[in-house]
Amino acid sequence: MNFFVTSVGLGHGANLGGLAGADAHCQQLATAAGAGNRTWHAYLSTQARPGQPAVNARDRIGTGPWYNAKGEMIAKNLADLHGDTLDLARMGNNINKLTDLTEKGQIVPGLTDGANPRDREWAYMQEHPESNRHETLTGSQPDGRAFTDNRDHTCNNWTSEAKGAAEALRENTGANAQVGMSDRNGGGNGSWNSAHGTSGCGQEDLGRTHGVGLYYCFAIN
Amino acid sequence: MTKAPLLAAGSIASLLAGSFFALAQAPGPQPHPMSFFVTSVGMGKGGDLGGLTGADAHCQALAAAVGGGGKTWHAYLSTQARPGQPAVNARDRIGTGPWYNSKRVPIAQSLSDLQGDTLEEARLGSNLFKQTALNEKGGVVNGAGDMPNTHDMLTGSRPDGRAYTDNMDHTCNNWTSSGPGSAQLGHSDRTGGGNTSWNSAHASRGCSQQDLVSTGGAGLFYCFAIN
Repeated sequence: MNFFVTSVGLGHGANLGGLAGADAHCQQLATAAGAGNRTWHAYLSTQARPGQPAVNARDRIGTGPWYNAKGEMIAKNLADLHGDTLDLARMGNNINKLTDLTEKGQIVPGLTDGANPRDREWAYMQEHPESNRHETLTGSQPDGRAFTDNRDHTCNNWTSEAKGAAEALRENTGANAQVGMSDRNGGGNGSWNSAHGTSGCGQEDLGRTHGVGLYYCFAIN
Repeated sequence: MTKAPLLAAGSIASLLAGSFFALAQAPGPQPHPMSFFVTSVGMGKGGDLGGLTGADAHCQALAAAVGGGGKTWHAYLSTQARPGQPAVNARDRIGTGPWYNSKRVPIAQSLSDLQGDTLEEARLGSNLFKQTALNEKGGVVNGAGDMPNTHDMLTGSRPDGRAYTDNMDHTCNNWTSSGPGSAQLGHSDRTGGGNTSWNSAHASRGCSQQDLVSTGGAGLFYCFAIN
């Protein structure tokens, strides 16, 4: 295994303690699953700040090929993972609901799983691990690179739990994180790494669109 | 007041569009009639659909049975060139979109969106996935992990929606063979085959109904209204 989706988030919304905190979480989960001998990085971008260049998620995950907890290949290389040519992009990589497993080899519940009127509330989502939580933090554009506009797409480089400007997603012009769909189902396109933003950065905000702050981890060696 | 019916009616329609639209989509002015579906049943003879004509008629009959017969329906299928008979590209026979499923959820805005004609569009993908690629009755098509899996969609097409130009058979002899040959298949749930392709994931083992069933199919295909 050199790829997994975190089985649990860090519990502070999109505040992951920056890339360092997010990487440590990957490493810890991998270690608990017996894969701590590798070096693990979170698939997350950060945006440029004064004196601090942007970091692209795709540049921090090694070169592949990557395999899930069951030994299934999810992508051959960076070009396959991100669809760097039109042919590759049209085909897509092998990330889907049945392959992007947690470090424990579990499927991440996706769209319509465990549907319940309360399944967008953090309290309920914690009690019901079978409910949809397909939104996966990336802070990245579809090509796996950081956003270059002036808007924050990374919850202040994974340090913020700020509320958005509005609870309705399309009206939120404030704090948010770009997310992908781990089940390739929903979000208007099914993109694994860049479907849309969230309605804020807190745990409740992520829940509102069926997220609990999970993200992808890759071993770089 | 019970919560369950609310979920069944109001929120499933929004769930179908994904979490994004679930929050944001207010009741629209005039709902869009169905212009896309996956056939709820195959024709029962494997890759023999009676050619494009037979396949189109199947689309039309299924649509008519659910009140969608007012539109002209075409199967999303390519055929390969034969002496004196040019190839037909699936993408060239489905109109220009936008297309909506039986729950009035958009599938794709345009041919370019559907087929991923630009790198940006291809990377994102269209809105066609398991919870939107519904049959004409509004049912979700069984996918990988469901019993039985029927996600293999006959297309005979390359990822760009065009016919193959090599000498291999990719269309069960232009949809007339239920024996020898092979058909290129997509996945209505975009799962399996080592990729995420909705229209060109892998080839079938053969053209009999059993050949199609053996890899997760039932001889189903996509239908689009051209008007």
